[in-house]
Amino acid sequence: MVQALKDRKVISMRKELFERTEMAAAWKGFKPGNWSCGIDVRDFIQQNYEPYDGDASFLEDATERTKALWNQVDDLIQEEVRSRSISVDLEHFSGIDNFPPGYIDRDQELIVGLQTDEPLKRMINPYGGVRMVESALKAYGLSMEPGLMEKFNEYRKTHNQGVFDAYTKQMRTVRSAGLLTGLPDAYGRGRIIGDYRRVALYGVDYLKEMRLKDKENFSDGATEEAIRLREEFSEQIRALDQLKAMAARYGVDIGRPAKTAQEAVQWLYFGYLAAVKENNGAATSFGRNTAFLDIYLQRDLELGVIDEKTAQEFIDQLVIKLRMVRHLRTPEYDELFAGDPTWVTESIGGVGEDGRHLVTKTAYRFLHTLINLGTSPEPNMTVLWSKHLPREFKEYCADMSIKTASIQYENDDLMRPIYGDDYAIACCVSAMRVGKEMQFFGARANLAKALLYAINGGRDEIARDKETGEPITVLPGIGQNDQEILDYAAVWASFQEVMDQLAKIYVETMNTIHYMHDKYAYEAGQMALHDPNVHRYIAFGIAGLSIVADSLSAIKYAKVRPLRNEHGLAVGFETEGTFPRYGNDDDRVDQIAIEVNRYFMDALRKTPAYRGAEHTLSLLTITSNVAYGKKTGATPDGRKYGEAFAPGANPMNGADESGALASLNSVAKLPFRDVNQDGISNTFSIIPAALGKNDTERLINLTNVLDGYFGQGAFHLNVNVMDRELLLDAMEHPEQYPNLTIRVSGYAVRFNQLSREHQLDVINRTFFEFV
Amino acid sequence: MRGYLQSIETMGLVDGPGTRTIFFMQGCPLRCAYCHNPDAIRLQGGREITPAEVLEIARRYRSYYGEDGGVTFSGGEPLLQGEFLHKSLELLKQEGYNTCIDTSGIGNRAFFPDIFPLVDTLIIDVKAFDQESFANLTLTKGFGEYLDFLASLENYGFQGQVWARHVMVPGWTDNEQSMRDFVRILRPICHRIDRIEILPYHTAGVEKYRKLGMSYRLEGVEPMDKDRAKELEIYANKVFAEDLQQERKKAQARSEEKYKILRDRQVVSKQEQAEMFASLRELPLLREVAEGDVEAVLDEIILSNIKAGDYIFRTGDAPDLMYLIYQGEMKIFYNTIDGEEQIFYIYRDGDFVGGLNLLVETPYRYVGQALTDCRIIAIPKATFDKYFYDSSVVLRSVLTKSFDRIRWAEELIQRLATSNASMKTAGLLLKLVKRIGVETEEGIRLELSMNREELGNYSGLRRETITRKLGQFKDLGYIDLVGNKVIIVKDLEALEAYVL
Repeated sequence: MVQALKDRKVISMRKELFERTEMAAAWKGFKPGNWSCGIDVRDFIQQNYEPYDGDASFLEDATERTKALWNQVDDLIQEEVRSRSISVDLEHFSGIDNFPPGYIDRDQELIVGLQTDEPLKRMINPYGGVRMVESALKAYGLSMEPGLMEKFNEYRKTHNQGVFDAYTKQMRTVRSAGLLTGLPDAYGRGRIIGDYRRVALYGVDYLKEMRLKDKENFSDGATEEAIRLREEFSEQIRALDQLKAMAARYGVDIGRPAKTAQEAVQWLYFGYLAAVKENNGAATSFGRNTAFLDIYLQRDLELGVIDEKTAQEFIDQLVIKLRMVRHLRTPEYDELFAGDPTWVTESIGGVGEDGRHLVTKTAYRFLHTLINLGTSPEPNMTVLWSKHLPREFKEYCADMSIKTASIQYENDDLMRPIYGDDYAIACCVSAMRVGKEMQFFGARANLAKALLYAINGGRDEIARDKETGEPITVLPGIGQNDQEILDYAAVWASFQEVMDQLAKIYVETMNTIHYMHDKYAYEAGQMALHDPNVHRYIAFGIAGLSIVADSLSAIKYAKVRPLRNEHGLAVGFETEGTFPRYGNDDDRVDQIAIEVNRYFMDALRKTPAYRGAEHTLSLLTITSNVAYGKKTGATPDGRKYGEAFAPGANPMNGADESGALASLNSVAKLPFRDVNQDGISNTFSIIPAALGKNDTERLINLTNVLDGYFGQGAFHLNVNVMDRELLLDAMEHPEQYPNLTIRVSGYAVRFNQLSREHQLDVINRTFFEFV
Repeated sequence: MRGYLQSIETMGLVDGPGTRTIFFMQGCPLRCAYCHNPDAIRLQGGREITPAEVLEIARRYRSYYGEDGGVTFSGGEPLLQGEFLHKSLELLKQEGYNTCIDTSGIGNRAFFPDIFPLVDTLIIDVKAFDQESFANLTLTKGFGEYLDFLASLENYGFQGQVWARHVMVPGWTDNEQSMRDFVRILRPICHRIDRIEILPYHTAGVEKYRKLGMSYRLEGVEPMDKDRAKELEIYANKVFAEDLQQERKKAQARSEEKYKILRDRQVVSKQEQAEMFASLRELPLLREVAEGDVEAVLDEIILSNIKAGDYIFRTGDAPDLMYLIYQGEMKIFYNTIDGEEQIFYIYRDGDFVGGLNLLVETPYRYVGQALTDCRIIAIPKATFDKYFYDSSVVLRSVLTKSFDRIRWAEELIQRLATSNASMKTAGLLLKLVKRIGVETEEGIRLELSMNREELGNYSGLRRETITRKLGQFKDLGYIDLVGNKVIIVKDLEALEAYVL
């Protein structure tokens, strides 16, 4: 199949598209290249963008028009947060072109388009699962138009139903015991980034023309995969028609390429809007658009068509729209992914393969929306850090982090060698080449619980058989440990067996989920904006690595005595002596974390993945670290039953006692390439006074911390610079902090939108406060 | 060789410049009432660490240090473990680490000459400003030793910068008189002071006393008001700058006095004038000319009278003449980028200038101007080549002269280098005020065309250092920063006090 597609490339004649009238008109002034002979957005950027080395002094404030518009939206958002109520379109089902056009305030909008006919009104997406829609509506005291849901259920099967039809008994047990949690079998998998820039650069008509050719070129054979692919191409072609029709409802013809900067922003946004109208993927990220848009803005600025104020206004208005994406979620979903996140992740900066950095004025403009429109969790601003970024830009980012706590950083110098220079981050930390690669998202395995299984003979430490009241054996054939003092070698050997079994079930469960997702809730709109032959990753995850490392360290370096209940289950541990803990740059324990980490990844690779996907792994919890904690018994590191996990790859609270950099160094050791290649999340909170004596000191120091951390191969950092007291006060007086934003694992949330439990978890985390 | 370590802080951002790894050493001879590390007082205890391990740890954090950061030894009192400190600093310096010690100046003096040449930044904690308060606060009688430490710092080979700190307890030193006393104590090392900081007393350490079962002498004393402490910090900085200015004025006056005396003593006798030609032969340069050539040389050289203030040569002049000062005085200088005159040398009778230029055929880089009425003998290049070029004596004297000048220039550089970051930054700002300053209501507005990097190059500072320094000046209320390109000077006097 891949060969056939490769051949197609050779056959297709390299026809210069500049010869077409509508292209020539739209591309005036652009330097031609591979991109003007076929779809190649990266080449367009490389041929035409200008790196910007200057500082932020060129930036403009928001216009009065934009301020007025934003105020209206902000009021709606504040009301939504305050009243904890939502508005839902109860008459339509989600779809690219299923809703009448919607506006905030038509006269003030330079960039148009909403998910539904009204701002912040959410859609009902039944394709994932009817039960979930009902439960979500119920949580807000709403119900669908009578008869509508029943009809759907009668004629159409959902992704959720498909998955449960095919799950084995053991898959269900593993899932309900909480050994695997947060799997995308009851919500949209997301993590797919359409190359929305293609809509602006080429226009929908050309994209459709190409996809028709793809289908034609691919008419050989009728294997299952070939049939599926042809069906998907057809779906994608229909989605492109719908995309064009949806835009037409707003009076815009996106069949042709965008001619101006404003059109480019608008076209791009329509491409994205189609994605969030069609599907409700947990993370629907925006891509990597600043250098792309900068080319259009720069052209119009040079032509004198717009000035800097207007250039900023386009970006401000785009960002207003990105802040308004909403999905209908169930309470269970909210528990895992707190604060109503949508992960409209925009990847900013980075360096090109030719060594020129990709920071443009539009990178500044995008970040500047945090000032012009105020702080906000979305879009999820992700700076691709490299030692080669200009120092001015680094310090600007650090300054914005200190002011807004809304930025995350990821190491471009690690990702570029793997993903090239036109990848973007999906969700929090997942890199993929835009329009060329996608991911099957797979939540995470609870390795802290898995370690308890190694001690408890594969039985769950909490779950009980409903009828007999006996413990449940989740993983068969694991020997029960009956040592008075736990022996490291014995526990480790047993833990390996547990991980082997768990990895196999995990891959098979994921294969089932994504098979059904492709079948019942296919993302045609997004896949239409990919190359025909995409590379697929299948992304697994680990939760509780720091607990496992500390627990194994305790068993190895101290004396750990399990306290067993009447069933022989270890439900508590007594520890004599001290032991090194992960987070202090101490190899005795850090190497344990790495060994576990590598072992689990190798175990996962042993089971082949659906559609030949490439196995990857992440250390990321989102906010599910709290939920995991609740479902996990006491662990040998001294953590009590129910206590929250550390988020992502963070050390456990208070374990890191040698200061912030020792903590960062421990995390920096975890391997990225070939092991945690789907990302290693680390959240760093520090009080302003500890970061430096004054504003200037703080921004230089933070820049140096970032340079130092990433310089030794670390992957990701969330940065929060704030006093714990501020958060405590915000908890008591939310009305005084309407937009207080804080970074949690991989994304940012409005603090007020977290449950009290999650708020306390954030407050109880390690804040570095050495002064 | 082992040291006793209380703990390590891997991200110290306030104890010394930049990001620093702080080694808190065990042991302290003082018993300060407010000590917030009472668990570090005993010398024994804590964990043991070798200098090699210190280096190993520093290496783990080097990537965070940026341009200014490095390693800080604090405590306790790091100077108590002199040998360990010396060995550790030696290892660190071998690999180019920036070093800092945070001390109250009391320790094992035998090691001071080994330690201090290896220290880049010294944080000196000035506990109290007189014998009695010192004794009350620290329960020790070390005040004299302490003053002596400050006075001897440079004798120990210290070449770095000093951050002077004082912990302010309400009712003790929260007044202006104390700040003046503080500054007075710093006078012996005033030209090395880069920062003066007031640390407001806080009660965060009290809990430790309870845990250790120790009594706390400041029980019931409220924490120091931070705003008031800041005000007094600003005041102390101002007093310091004025003090510095006074010191410099005195130094300047002394050197002017000396110069004047020299000039007054210079006598030009009439008899000498008459014997000029005869005595020309005695000038070092002409002594080697062969007897038969004397007439030809005398024929070709030019003797001229130059009036005080006239130029003899200028930057860029071709190397076609060299000059011998028969009588009088001239200065050699060049104009710096910012239009200031930088004098390199004063030449007088018998001195010559330009020999090297003729030898290597490079144009004059500096300006020569008569300070007094002069008689100058100009020797054309052709004459020089013909009669002097082969003379080893001439060459030797040209070289000796050049080496003299190089040594002198090096000393000048040394002198310039001892002006610290504060002085350099203030100097730069003042120059900018002169050139591009615009008076506005908020202050003098400077619209810069340079970025921080260029500002740094311009003033001989690293980008990071000058950025931090501007931040500090903003903190002290001297300037305001609007974005990266606009500086508003709010307190010109304060800046002027740093430079003369």
